[in-house]
Amino acid sequence: MAKTLIVAEIQKCQLREATLELVGMARKLGGDVASLVIGSGVGGIAEDLSKKGGGKVLVADDPSLANYNVDGWTRAIRKAVDAEKPELVLISNTPIGWDVAGRIAAQLDCGVASDVIRIEPEGGELVFVRRMFNAKFDARLRVAGTPRVATVQPGASEAYAGSDAGSVVKLDGVGGDARTKFVEIRTAPAGGHDLTKAEIIVSGGRGLQKPENFEAVLKPLVDALGAQMGASRPVVDAGWLPHEYQVGSSGQIVSPKLYVAVGISGAIQHLVGMKNSNFIIAINKDGDAPIFEVADVGIVGDLFEVVPALVTALKAAKGG
Amino acid sequence: MKILVCLKQVPHKDARLELAPDGKWIADANIKFEINDYDNYALEEALRVKDRDPATEVVVATIGPDRVQQSLRTALGMGADRAVQVWDDGLAGADSLAVAKTLAAVAKAEKCDLVLLGLMSDDANFALTGPILAELLGVPSATGIVSAKLDGGQVEVERELEGGALEVVKLPLPCLLTAQTGMNEVRYASLKGIMQAKKKPLDKKSLSDLGLSAAAVAAKTKIEKIYTPPKGAGAEILSGSKDEVAQKFVGKVKELGLL
Repeated sequence: MAKTLIVAEIQKCQLREATLELVGMARKLGGDVASLVIGSGVGGIAEDLSKKGGGKVLVADDPSLANYNVDGWTRAIRKAVDAEKPELVLISNTPIGWDVAGRIAAQLDCGVASDVIRIEPEGGELVFVRRMFNAKFDARLRVAGTPRVATVQPGASEAYAGSDAGSVVKLDGVGGDARTKFVEIRTAPAGGHDLTKAEIIVSGGRGLQKPENFEAVLKPLVDALGAQMGASRPVVDAGWLPHEYQVGSSGQIVSPKLYVAVGISGAIQHLVGMKNSNFIIAINKDGDAPIFEVADVGIVGDLFEVVPALVTALKAAKGG
Repeated sequence: MKILVCLKQVPHKDARLELAPDGKWIADANIKFEINDYDNYALEEALRVKDRDPATEVVVATIGPDRVQQSLRTALGMGADRAVQVWDDGLAGADSLAVAKTLAAVAKAEKCDLVLLGLMSDDANFALTGPILAELLGVPSATGIVSAKLDGGQVEVERELEGGALEVVKLPLPCLLTAQTGMNEVRYASLKGIMQAKKKPLDKKSLSDLGLSAAAVAAKTKIEKIYTPPKGAGAEILSGSKDEVAQKFVGKVKELGLL
Protein backbone atom coordinates (compact mmCIF):
# COMPACT_ATOMS: atom_id res chain seq x y z
CA MET A 1 0.00 0.00 0.00
CA ALA A 2 1.56 3.26 -1.06
CA LYS A 3 -0.63 5.87 0.55
CA THR A 4 -4.02 6.20 2.20
CA LEU A 5 -5.84 9.49 2.65
CA ILE A 6 -8.26 9.62 5.57
CA VAL A 7 -11.11 12.10 5.62
CA ALA A 8 -11.63 13.00 9.28
CA GLU A 9 -14.94 13.90 10.86
CA ILE A 10 -15.50 16.17 13.81
CA GLN A 11 -18.31 15.53 16.26
CA LYS A 12 -19.01 17.72 19.28
CA CYS A 13 -15.78 19.67 18.70
CA GLN A 14 -13.56 16.60 18.72
CA LEU A 15 -12.38 13.87 16.41
CA ARG A 16 -15.02 11.31 15.80
CA GLU A 17 -14.22 7.79 17.00
CA ALA A 18 -14.97 6.57 13.45
CA THR A 19 -12.03 8.69 12.20
CA LEU A 20 -9.63 6.91 14.56
CA GLU A 21 -11.07 3.64 13.25
CA LEU A 22 -10.11 4.74 9.73
CA VAL A 23 -6.60 5.42 11.06
CA GLY A 24 -6.56 1.92 12.52
CA MET A 25 -7.60 0.44 9.20
CA ALA A 26 -5.06 2.47 7.20
CA ARG A 27 -2.23 1.60 9.61
CA LYS A 28 -3.03 -2.08 9.32
CA LEU A 29 -2.78 -1.84 5.53
CA GLY A 30 0.65 -0.25 5.91
CA GLY A 31 2.20 2.44 3.76
CA ASP A 32 1.94 6.18 4.24
CA VAL A 33 -1.02 7.74 5.96
CA ALA A 34 -2.26 11.25 5.31
CA SER A 35 -5.40 12.80 6.75
CA LEU A 36 -7.69 15.70 6.04
CA VAL A 37 -9.47 17.78 8.65
CA ILE A 38 -12.17 20.14 7.35
CA GLY A 39 -13.82 23.01 9.20
CA SER A 40 -13.27 26.49 10.56
CA GLY A 41 -10.80 26.98 13.41
CA VAL A 42 -9.93 23.29 13.45
CA GLY A 43 -6.13 23.60 13.76
CA GLY A 44 -6.24 22.10 17.25
CA ILE A 45 -8.14 19.08 16.05
CA ALA A 46 -5.63 18.61 13.22
CA GLU A 47 -2.80 18.73 15.81
CA ASP A 48 -4.65 16.14 17.83
CA LEU A 49 -5.06 13.84 14.82
CA SER A 50 -1.39 14.24 13.91
CA LYS A 51 -0.53 12.78 17.33
CA LYS A 52 -3.00 9.92 17.02
CA GLY A 53 -1.65 8.26 13.90
CA GLY A 54 -3.15 10.56 11.27
CA GLY A 55 0.32 11.04 9.70
CA LYS A 56 0.58 14.13 7.57
CA VAL A 57 -2.58 16.01 8.45
CA LEU A 58 -3.88 18.49 5.89
CA VAL A 59 -6.16 21.18 7.27
CA ALA A 60 -8.87 22.73 5.14
CA ASP A 61 -9.61 25.63 7.45
CA ASP A 62 -11.94 28.32 6.18
CA PRO A 63 -14.90 30.31 7.56
CA SER A 64 -17.01 28.96 4.69
CA LEU A 65 -16.48 25.47 6.13
CA ALA A 66 -17.79 26.32 9.61
CA ASN A 67 -20.91 24.27 8.95
CA TYR A 68 -20.85 21.11 6.90
CA ASN A 69 -21.80 21.58 3.26
CA VAL A 70 -21.42 19.03 0.50
CA ASP A 71 -19.79 21.38 -2.03
CA GLY A 72 -17.15 22.72 0.36
CA TRP A 73 -16.31 19.27 1.66
CA THR A 74 -16.08 17.79 -1.82
CA ARG A 75 -13.80 20.63 -2.93
CA ALA A 76 -11.51 20.16 0.08
CA ILE A 77 -11.27 16.40 -0.38
CA ARG A 78 -10.48 16.83 -4.06
CA LYS A 79 -7.70 19.31 -3.21
CA ALA A 80 -6.24 16.85 -0.72
CA VAL A 81 -6.42 14.00 -3.25
CA ASP A 82 -4.64 16.12 -5.87
CA ALA A 83 -1.98 17.13 -3.34
CA GLU A 84 -1.32 13.69 -1.86
CA LYS A 85 -2.15 11.37 -4.77
CA PRO A 86 -3.30 8.53 -2.51
CA GLU A 87 -4.10 5.05 -3.75
CA LEU A 88 -6.96 4.77 -1.30
CA VAL A 89 -9.31 7.39 0.11
CA LEU A 90 -11.10 6.35 3.30
CA ILE A 91 -14.27 8.13 4.45
CA SER A 92 -16.64 7.09 7.22
CA ASN A 93 -20.02 5.75 6.13
CA THR A 94 -22.01 8.52 7.81
CA PRO A 95 -24.45 11.14 6.50
CA ILE A 96 -21.37 13.13 5.37
CA GLY A 97 -19.86 10.05 3.75
CA TRP A 98 -23.11 9.42 1.85
CA ASP A 99 -22.93 12.95 0.44
CA VAL A 100 -19.29 13.15 -0.60
CA ALA A 101 -17.88 9.69 -1.39
CA GLY A 102 -19.79 9.23 -4.64
CA ARG A 103 -19.02 12.77 -5.75
CA ILE A 104 -15.28 12.27 -5.26
CA ALA A 105 -15.38 8.94 -7.10
CA ALA A 106 -17.31 10.56 -9.96
CA GLN A 107 -14.77 13.39 -10.23
CA LEU A 108 -11.88 10.95 -10.28
CA ASP A 109 -13.83 8.45 -12.42
CA CYS A 110 -12.60 5.74 -10.10
CA GLY A 111 -13.95 2.66 -8.37
CA VAL A 112 -15.78 3.10 -5.10
CA ALA A 113 -17.24 0.83 -2.42
CA SER A 114 -19.38 1.93 0.49
CA ASP A 115 -20.09 0.65 3.98
CA VAL A 116 -16.97 -1.51 3.93
CA ILE A 117 -16.23 -3.52 7.08
CA ARG A 118 -12.81 -4.90 6.15
CA ILE A 119 -10.08 -4.30 3.58
CA GLU A 120 -7.81 -7.21 2.68
CA PRO A 121 -4.68 -6.79 0.59
CA GLU A 122 -4.39 -9.64 -1.89
CA GLY A 123 -1.72 -9.99 -4.56
CA GLY A 124 -1.02 -6.29 -4.77
CA GLU A 125 -4.73 -5.50 -4.97
CA LEU A 126 -7.29 -4.62 -2.35
CA VAL A 127 -10.41 -6.61 -1.60
CA PHE A 128 -13.24 -4.73 0.09
CA VAL A 129 -15.56 -6.77 2.29
CA ARG A 130 -19.03 -5.47 3.03
CA ARG A 131 -22.54 -6.61 3.82
CA MET A 132 -25.24 -6.81 1.18
CA PHE A 133 -28.95 -7.58 1.09
CA ASN A 134 -29.43 -6.01 4.51
CA ALA A 135 -26.66 -8.11 6.07
CA LYS A 136 -28.00 -11.43 4.76
CA PHE A 137 -24.85 -11.91 2.67
CA ASP A 138 -21.28 -10.66 2.72
CA ALA A 139 -19.59 -9.56 -0.48
CA ARG A 140 -15.96 -9.37 -1.60
CA LEU A 141 -15.40 -6.53 -4.04
CA ARG A 142 -12.43 -5.83 -6.26
CA VAL A 143 -11.84 -2.29 -7.35
CA ALA A 144 -9.74 -1.77 -10.46
CA GLY A 145 -7.24 1.06 -10.77
CA THR A 146 -6.21 3.79 -8.38
CA PRO A 147 -7.18 5.79 -6.56
CA ARG A 148 -10.10 3.98 -5.01
CA VAL A 149 -12.64 5.44 -2.64
CA ALA A 150 -14.17 3.49 0.23
CA THR A 151 -16.54 4.43 3.00
CA VAL A 152 -16.16 2.39 6.16
CA GLN A 153 -18.88 1.38 8.57
CA PRO A 154 -18.40 3.09 11.94
CA GLY A 155 -17.59 0.52 14.60
CA ALA A 156 -16.39 -2.07 12.07
CA SER A 157 -12.68 -1.68 12.76
CA GLU A 158 -10.59 -0.92 15.80
CA ALA A 159 -9.59 2.64 16.58
CA TYR A 160 -5.86 3.30 16.38
CA ALA A 161 -4.52 3.60 19.90
CA GLY A 162 -0.90 4.57 19.17
CA SER A 163 0.58 8.03 19.55
CA ASP A 164 2.81 8.90 16.62
CA ALA A 165 4.21 12.29 15.81
CA GLY A 166 2.89 13.47 12.48
CA SER A 167 2.75 16.87 10.90
CA VAL A 168 0.11 19.48 10.13
CA VAL A 169 -0.01 21.26 6.78
CA LYS A 170 -2.46 23.94 5.75
CA LEU A 171 -4.36 23.27 2.54
CA ASP A 172 -4.88 26.43 0.49
CA GLY A 173 -7.72 27.48 -1.76
CA VAL A 174 -10.42 25.56 0.07
CA GLY A 175 -12.89 28.40 0.63
CA GLY A 176 -15.63 29.38 -1.77
CA ASP A 177 -19.30 29.31 -2.52
CA ALA A 178 -21.53 26.38 -1.77
CA ARG A 179 -24.69 25.80 -3.78
CA THR A 180 -26.19 23.88 -0.87
CA LYS A 181 -26.75 26.29 2.01
CA PHE A 182 -26.76 25.19 5.62
CA VAL A 183 -29.82 26.46 7.51
CA GLU A 184 -29.79 24.73 10.89
CA ILE A 185 -29.57 21.48 12.84
CA ARG A 186 -32.84 20.37 14.43
CA THR A 187 -32.46 17.96 17.31
CA ALA A 188 -35.17 15.59 18.40
CA PRO A 189 -37.46 17.15 21.00
CA ALA A 190 -36.43 16.20 24.53
CA GLY A 191 -38.65 14.20 26.83
CA GLY A 192 -41.33 12.11 25.20
CA HIS A 193 -40.69 8.39 25.13
CA ASP A 194 -37.13 8.25 26.49
CA LEU A 195 -35.73 4.73 26.10
CA THR A 196 -32.16 5.61 27.00
CA LYS A 197 -32.76 5.13 30.73
CA ALA A 198 -35.03 2.09 30.50
CA GLU A 199 -33.95 -1.06 32.41
CA ILE A 200 -35.86 -3.37 30.11
CA ILE A 201 -36.94 -2.72 26.54
CA VAL A 202 -39.18 -4.92 24.43
CA SER A 203 -39.02 -3.87 20.78
CA GLY A 204 -41.21 -5.00 17.94
CA GLY A 205 -40.47 -5.15 14.23
CA ARG A 206 -42.12 -5.84 10.92
CA GLY A 207 -42.70 -9.42 12.08
CA LEU A 208 -45.68 -8.16 14.10
CA GLN A 209 -47.36 -7.67 10.72
CA LYS A 210 -49.83 -4.92 11.64
CA PRO A 211 -50.05 -1.96 14.03
CA GLU A 212 -52.84 -3.48 16.18
CA ASN A 213 -50.52 -6.33 17.15
CA PHE A 214 -48.29 -3.96 19.11
CA GLU A 215 -51.18 -3.45 21.52
CA ALA A 216 -52.62 -6.97 21.30
CA VAL A 217 -49.46 -9.11 21.22
CA LEU A 218 -46.42 -7.07 22.24
CA LYS A 219 -47.90 -4.87 24.98
CA PRO A 220 -48.75 -7.81 27.30
CA LEU A 221 -45.08 -8.88 27.20
CA VAL A 222 -43.96 -5.28 27.79
CA ASP A 223 -46.25 -5.09 30.83
CA ALA A 224 -45.36 -8.53 32.19
CA LEU A 225 -41.67 -7.56 32.18
CA GLY A 226 -42.29 -4.03 33.45
CA ALA A 227 -40.51 -2.87 30.31
CA GLN A 228 -40.77 0.02 27.89
CA MET A 229 -41.78 -0.52 24.28
CA GLY A 230 -39.41 0.15 21.39
CA ALA A 231 -39.60 -0.44 17.66
CA SER A 232 -37.49 -0.98 14.58
CA ARG A 233 -37.28 1.49 11.72
CA PRO A 234 -39.75 -0.16 9.28
CA VAL A 235 -42.43 0.01 11.99
CA VAL A 236 -41.88 3.75 12.43
CA ASP A 237 -41.56 4.35 8.68
CA ALA A 238 -44.93 2.68 8.20
CA GLY A 239 -46.43 5.03 10.79
CA TRP A 240 -47.38 2.21 13.19
CA LEU A 241 -45.55 3.93 16.06
CA PRO A 242 -44.12 7.44 16.43
CA HIS A 243 -40.42 8.12 15.82
CA GLU A 244 -39.74 8.40 19.56
CA TYR A 245 -40.14 4.60 19.77
CA GLN A 246 -37.41 3.94 17.21
CA VAL A 247 -34.25 2.17 18.38
CA GLY A 248 -31.31 2.46 15.98
CA SER A 249 -28.71 4.75 14.50
CA SER A 250 -31.34 7.25 13.43
CA GLY A 251 -33.44 6.76 16.56
CA GLN A 252 -32.38 6.16 20.14
CA ILE A 253 -29.17 4.39 21.13
CA VAL A 254 -30.03 2.23 24.12
CA SER A 255 -28.21 -0.04 26.58
CA PRO A 256 -30.77 -1.55 28.97
CA LYS A 257 -30.15 -4.49 31.28
CA LEU A 258 -32.42 -6.59 29.06
CA TYR A 259 -33.40 -6.00 25.44
CA VAL A 260 -36.01 -8.26 23.89
CA ALA A 261 -36.27 -8.04 20.09
CA VAL A 262 -39.52 -9.44 18.74
CA GLY A 263 -39.96 -9.96 15.00
CA ILE A 264 -36.89 -7.86 14.22
CA SER A 265 -34.49 -9.33 11.67
CA GLY A 266 -31.62 -7.08 12.72
CA ALA A 267 -30.76 -4.53 10.04
CA ILE A 268 -27.44 -2.87 10.80
CA GLN A 269 -29.04 0.44 11.61
CA HIS A 270 -31.09 -1.29 14.35
CA LEU A 271 -28.14 -3.30 15.72
CA VAL A 272 -26.12 -0.11 16.12
CA GLY A 273 -28.82 1.17 18.45
CA MET A 274 -29.09 -1.83 20.77
CA LYS A 275 -26.03 -4.06 20.55
CA ASN A 276 -24.55 -2.56 23.73
CA SER A 277 -27.47 -3.80 25.81
CA ASN A 278 -26.36 -5.90 28.79
CA PHE A 279 -28.42 -8.93 27.69
CA ILE A 280 -30.29 -9.49 24.45
CA ILE A 281 -33.05 -12.00 23.76
CA ALA A 282 -34.31 -12.29 20.19
CA ILE A 283 -37.50 -13.92 18.97
CA ASN A 284 -37.73 -14.48 15.22
CA LYS A 285 -39.09 -17.12 12.87
CA ASP A 286 -35.98 -16.98 10.65
CA GLY A 287 -33.13 -18.76 12.42
CA ASP A 288 -30.66 -17.12 10.01
CA ALA A 289 -31.76 -13.58 10.92
CA PRO A 290 -28.75 -11.36 11.76
CA ILE A 291 -30.34 -10.43 15.11
CA PHE A 292 -29.28 -13.87 16.45
CA GLU A 293 -25.64 -12.91 15.87
CA VAL A 294 -25.80 -10.17 18.50
CA ALA A 295 -28.33 -11.86 20.80
CA ASP A 296 -27.28 -13.77 23.93
CA VAL A 297 -30.37 -15.94 23.79
CA GLY A 298 -32.59 -16.72 20.83
CA ILE A 299 -36.01 -18.22 20.34
CA VAL A 300 -36.63 -19.41 16.79
CA GLY A 301 -40.36 -19.60 16.26
CA ASP A 302 -43.63 -17.92 15.43
CA LEU A 303 -43.84 -14.88 17.67
CA PHE A 304 -47.64 -15.11 17.71
CA GLU A 305 -47.28 -18.43 19.56
CA VAL A 306 -44.09 -17.69 21.50
CA VAL A 307 -44.97 -14.29 22.95
CA PRO A 308 -48.31 -15.28 24.57
CA ALA A 309 -46.56 -18.32 26.10
CA LEU A 310 -43.88 -16.04 27.57
CA VAL A 311 -46.56 -13.75 29.01
CA THR A 312 -48.34 -16.70 30.63
CA ALA A 313 -45.08 -18.04 32.09
CA LEU A 314 -44.03 -14.62 33.38
CA LYS A 315 -47.40 -14.08 35.05
CA ALA A 316 -47.25 -17.53 36.65
CA ALA A 317 -43.70 -16.89 37.89
CA LYS A 318 -44.70 -13.58 39.43
CA GLY A 319 -47.87 -15.05 40.96
CA GLY A 320 -45.96 -17.99 42.47
CA MET B 1 -41.60 21.58 -13.69
CA LYS B 2 -40.16 18.28 -14.80
CA ILE B 3 -39.05 15.63 -12.32
CA LEU B 4 -37.05 12.50 -13.07
CA VAL B 5 -37.42 9.68 -10.56
CA CYS B 6 -34.85 6.91 -10.86
CA LEU B 7 -36.10 3.57 -9.60
CA LYS B 8 -34.51 0.21 -9.01
CA GLN B 9 -36.34 -3.09 -9.05
CA VAL B 10 -35.14 -5.25 -6.16
CA PRO B 11 -36.06 -8.66 -4.73
CA HIS B 12 -39.31 -8.58 -2.76
CA LYS B 13 -38.85 -8.05 0.99
CA ASP B 14 -40.24 -11.50 1.73
CA ALA B 15 -38.42 -13.33 -1.07
CA ARG B 16 -36.24 -16.21 0.09
CA LEU B 17 -32.82 -15.34 -1.22
CA GLU B 18 -30.40 -18.03 -2.36
CA LEU B 19 -26.97 -17.62 -3.88
CA ALA B 20 -26.56 -17.98 -7.66
CA PRO B 21 -24.36 -20.91 -8.75
CA ASP B 22 -21.53 -18.53 -9.78
CA GLY B 23 -21.58 -16.98 -6.30
CA LYS B 24 -21.55 -13.46 -7.68
CA TRP B 25 -25.20 -12.57 -7.06
CA ILE B 26 -28.40 -14.12 -5.82
CA ALA B 27 -30.41 -16.61 -7.88
CA ASP B 28 -33.02 -14.26 -9.27
CA ALA B 29 -34.83 -16.38 -11.87
CA ASN B 30 -37.72 -17.48 -9.67
CA ILE B 31 -38.22 -14.76 -7.10
CA LYS B 32 -40.69 -11.90 -6.83
CA PHE B 33 -39.48 -8.35 -7.36
CA GLU B 34 -40.77 -4.96 -6.30
CA ILE B 35 -39.79 -1.29 -6.45
CA ASN B 36 -36.96 -0.54 -4.03
CA ASP B 37 -38.60 0.83 -0.89
CA TYR B 38 -36.43 3.97 -0.71
CA ASP B 39 -37.37 4.77 -4.31
CA ASN B 40 -41.08 4.54 -3.49
CA TYR B 41 -40.66 7.51 -1.16
CA ALA B 42 -38.83 9.44 -3.89
CA LEU B 43 -41.62 8.69 -6.37
CA GLU B 44 -44.30 9.66 -3.86
CA GLU B 45 -42.56 12.99 -3.24
CA ALA B 46 -42.53 13.69 -6.99
CA LEU B 47 -46.21 12.76 -7.31
CA ARG B 48 -47.06 15.15 -4.47
CA VAL B 49 -45.48 17.98 -6.46
CA LYS B 50 -47.66 16.94 -9.39
CA ASP B 51 -50.75 16.82 -7.14
CA ARG B 52 -50.18 20.47 -6.26
CA ASP B 53 -49.23 21.53 -9.78
CA PRO B 54 -50.77 19.25 -12.44
CA ALA B 55 -48.54 20.84 -15.10
CA THR B 56 -45.64 18.91 -13.53
CA GLU B 57 -44.31 16.04 -15.59
CA VAL B 58 -42.99 13.02 -13.70
CA VAL B 59 -40.73 10.67 -15.67
CA VAL B 60 -39.58 7.39 -14.13
CA ALA B 61 -36.43 5.65 -15.32
CA THR B 62 -34.82 2.37 -14.46
CA ILE B 63 -32.07 0.06 -15.64
CA GLY B 64 -32.78 -3.62 -16.00
CA PRO B 65 -34.07 -6.50 -18.14
CA ASP B 66 -37.70 -6.67 -19.21
CA ARG B 67 -38.95 -7.80 -15.80
CA VAL B 68 -38.44 -4.19 -14.64
CA GLN B 69 -41.29 -3.08 -16.92
CA GLN B 70 -43.70 -4.38 -14.31
CA SER B 71 -42.24 -1.96 -11.74
CA LEU B 72 -42.36 0.88 -14.27
CA ARG B 73 -46.04 0.10 -14.93
CA THR B 74 -46.65 0.20 -11.18
CA ALA B 75 -45.02 3.64 -11.04
CA LEU B 76 -47.13 4.79 -14.00
CA GLY B 77 -50.20 3.40 -12.23
CA MET B 78 -49.32 5.48 -9.17
CA GLY B 79 -49.34 8.59 -11.35
CA ALA B 80 -46.05 9.00 -13.22
CA ASP B 81 -46.47 10.27 -16.80
CA ARG B 82 -43.82 8.39 -18.74
CA ALA B 83 -41.30 5.64 -18.21
CA VAL B 84 -37.85 4.91 -19.58
CA GLN B 85 -36.26 1.47 -19.38
CA VAL B 86 -32.59 1.15 -20.23
CA TRP B 87 -31.18 -2.28 -20.88
CA ASP B 88 -28.18 -3.58 -22.71
CA ASP B 89 -25.92 -6.59 -22.30
CA GLY B 90 -23.17 -4.07 -21.54
CA LEU B 91 -24.96 -3.20 -18.30
CA ALA B 92 -24.76 -6.68 -16.77
CA GLY B 93 -22.59 -6.37 -13.66
CA ALA B 94 -22.87 -2.56 -13.71
CA ASP B 95 -21.46 -0.85 -10.62
CA SER B 96 -22.72 2.39 -9.05
CA LEU B 97 -20.58 4.47 -11.39
CA ALA B 98 -21.89 2.68 -14.50
CA VAL B 99 -25.49 2.98 -13.33
CA ALA B 100 -25.03 6.68 -12.63
CA LYS B 101 -23.38 7.28 -16.01
CA THR B 102 -26.32 5.61 -17.72
CA LEU B 103 -28.89 7.53 -15.68
CA ALA B 104 -26.95 10.75 -16.34
CA ALA B 105 -27.43 10.21 -20.07
CA VAL B 106 -31.17 9.76 -19.49
CA ALA B 107 -31.36 12.83 -17.24
CA LYS B 108 -29.44 15.02 -19.70
CA ALA B 109 -31.82 14.04 -22.50
CA GLU B 110 -34.83 14.75 -20.29
CA LYS B 111 -33.59 18.15 -19.01
CA CYS B 112 -35.20 17.92 -15.57
CA ASP B 113 -35.57 20.52 -12.83
CA LEU B 114 -35.37 17.90 -10.12
CA VAL B 115 -33.97 14.37 -9.93
CA LEU B 116 -35.26 12.18 -7.12
CA LEU B 117 -34.15 8.71 -6.10
CA GLY B 118 -33.91 6.58 -3.01
CA LEU B 119 -30.96 6.94 -0.64
CA MET B 120 -29.90 3.36 -1.35
CA SER B 121 -31.15 0.08 -2.77
CA ASP B 122 -32.43 -2.71 -0.59
CA ASP B 123 -30.26 -5.29 -2.37
CA ALA B 124 -26.76 -3.82 -2.78
CA ASN B 125 -27.14 -1.11 -0.09
CA PHE B 126 -24.40 1.07 -1.64
CA ALA B 127 -26.07 4.52 -1.37
CA LEU B 128 -23.74 5.79 -4.11
CA THR B 129 -25.80 6.20 -7.28
CA GLY B 130 -27.44 9.48 -6.21
CA PRO B 131 -24.34 11.51 -5.35
CA ILE B 132 -22.39 10.16 -8.35
CA LEU B 133 -25.29 11.11 -10.62
CA ALA B 134 -25.43 14.61 -9.09
CA GLU B 135 -21.72 15.10 -9.74
CA LEU B 136 -22.02 13.87 -13.34
CA LEU B 137 -24.94 16.25 -13.91
CA GLY B 138 -23.13 19.13 -12.22
CA VAL B 139 -26.04 19.84 -9.88
CA PRO B 140 -26.19 20.29 -6.09
CA SER B 141 -27.51 17.43 -4.00
CA ALA B 142 -28.66 16.30 -0.59
CA THR B 143 -28.81 12.68 0.57
CA GLY B 144 -31.14 10.90 2.96
CA ILE B 145 -33.84 13.55 3.10
CA VAL B 146 -37.02 13.19 5.15
CA SER B 147 -38.81 16.31 3.89
CA ALA B 148 -38.66 18.66 0.91
CA LYS B 149 -40.35 22.03 0.55
CA LEU B 150 -40.28 23.49 -2.95
CA ASP B 151 -40.37 27.26 -3.04
CA GLY B 152 -39.89 28.91 -6.42
CA GLY B 153 -36.47 28.11 -7.73
CA GLN B 154 -35.24 26.41 -4.60
CA VAL B 155 -35.99 23.57 -2.25
CA GLU B 156 -35.51 23.34 1.51
CA VAL B 157 -34.89 19.82 2.77
CA GLU B 158 -34.34 18.07 6.07
CA ARG B 159 -31.54 15.48 5.97
CA GLU B 160 -31.57 12.73 8.53
CA LEU B 161 -28.43 12.64 10.65
CA GLU B 162 -27.66 10.16 13.40
CA GLY B 163 -29.50 9.99 16.73
CA GLY B 164 -32.69 11.58 15.42
CA ALA B 165 -31.11 14.96 14.51
CA LEU B 166 -31.99 16.69 11.26
CA GLU B 167 -29.88 19.00 9.12
CA VAL B 168 -31.85 21.65 7.24
CA VAL B 169 -30.31 22.80 3.94
CA LYS B 170 -31.48 24.87 0.97
CA LEU B 171 -30.61 24.03 -2.62
CA PRO B 172 -31.29 25.85 -5.89
CA LEU B 173 -32.98 23.99 -8.75
CA PRO B 174 -32.01 22.02 -10.70
CA CYS B 175 -30.80 19.64 -8.03
CA LEU B 176 -30.82 16.00 -6.96
CA LEU B 177 -32.27 14.58 -3.76
CA THR B 178 -32.14 11.07 -2.31
CA ALA B 179 -35.03 9.97 -0.10
CA GLN B 180 -34.79 8.30 3.27
CA THR B 181 -37.53 5.78 4.12
CA GLY B 182 -40.50 7.11 6.07
CA MET B 183 -40.36 10.56 4.44
CA ASN B 184 -44.02 10.38 3.39
CA GLU B 185 -46.91 7.97 3.10
CA VAL B 186 -46.55 6.15 -0.21
CA ARG B 187 -49.77 5.83 -2.24
CA TYR B 188 -50.99 2.67 -3.93
CA ALA B 189 -51.83 2.56 -7.61
CA SER B 190 -55.60 2.91 -8.00
CA LEU B 191 -57.54 0.61 -10.31
CA LYS B 192 -58.14 3.58 -12.59
CA GLY B 193 -54.44 4.41 -12.42
CA ILE B 194 -53.48 0.86 -13.37
CA MET B 195 -55.85 0.97 -16.37
CA GLN B 196 -54.40 4.31 -17.49
CA ALA B 197 -50.86 3.08 -17.00
CA LYS B 198 -51.26 0.58 -19.82
CA LYS B 199 -51.60 3.45 -22.29
CA LYS B 200 -48.77 5.59 -20.93
CA PRO B 201 -45.50 5.64 -22.89
CA LEU B 202 -42.73 3.24 -21.83
CA ASP B 203 -39.60 3.70 -23.93
CA LYS B 204 -36.91 1.07 -24.00
CA LYS B 205 -33.42 2.33 -24.75
CA SER B 206 -30.06 0.70 -25.34
CA LEU B 207 -26.68 2.17 -24.44
CA SER B 208 -26.14 3.37 -28.01
CA ASP B 209 -29.55 5.11 -27.96
CA LEU B 210 -28.10 7.15 -25.11
CA GLY B 211 -24.81 7.82 -26.89
CA LEU B 212 -22.99 5.38 -24.59
CA SER B 213 -21.11 2.14 -25.12
CA ALA B 214 -20.30 -0.91 -23.03
CA ALA B 215 -16.73 0.41 -22.72
CA ALA B 216 -17.97 3.78 -21.44
CA VAL B 217 -19.86 2.10 -18.62
CA ALA B 218 -17.44 -0.74 -17.82
CA ALA B 219 -17.59 -1.55 -14.10
CA LYS B 220 -14.58 -0.54 -12.02
CA THR B 221 -15.96 -2.14 -8.86
CA LYS B 222 -16.69 -5.82 -9.32
CA ILE B 223 -18.30 -8.33 -7.03
CA GLU B 224 -15.85 -11.21 -6.71
CA LYS B 225 -18.31 -13.26 -4.68
CA ILE B 226 -21.12 -13.03 -2.22
CA TYR B 227 -21.57 -15.59 0.52
CA THR B 228 -23.40 -16.30 3.74
CA PRO B 229 -21.41 -14.58 6.49
CA PRO B 230 -19.53 -16.96 8.77
CA LYS B 231 -21.53 -17.42 11.94
CA GLY B 232 -20.04 -16.15 15.16
CA ALA B 233 -20.76 -17.85 18.46
CA GLY B 234 -24.27 -16.49 18.01
CA ALA B 235 -27.13 -16.80 20.43
CA GLU B 236 -27.89 -19.72 22.70
CA ILE B 237 -31.07 -20.97 21.05
CA LEU B 238 -33.74 -22.09 23.54
CA SER B 239 -35.22 -25.40 22.49
CA GLY B 240 -38.12 -27.50 23.55
CA SER B 241 -41.89 -27.15 23.52
CA LYS B 242 -43.49 -23.71 23.57
CA ASP B 243 -43.97 -23.94 27.34
CA GLU B 244 -40.48 -25.29 28.01
CA VAL B 245 -39.04 -22.41 26.00
CA ALA B 246 -41.18 -19.99 27.99
CA GLN B 247 -39.92 -21.47 31.28
CA LYS B 248 -36.29 -21.13 30.11
CA PHE B 249 -37.02 -17.52 29.13
CA VAL B 250 -38.39 -16.81 32.62
CA GLY B 251 -35.27 -18.47 34.07
CA LYS B 252 -33.02 -16.11 32.09
CA VAL B 253 -34.97 -13.05 33.26
CA LYS B 254 -34.67 -14.30 36.85
CA GLU B 255 -30.91 -14.86 36.48
CA LEU B 256 -30.63 -11.24 35.44
CA GLY B 257 -32.40 -10.25 38.64
CA LEU B 258 -35.17 -8.61 36.69
CA LEU B 259 -38.10 -10.66 37.97
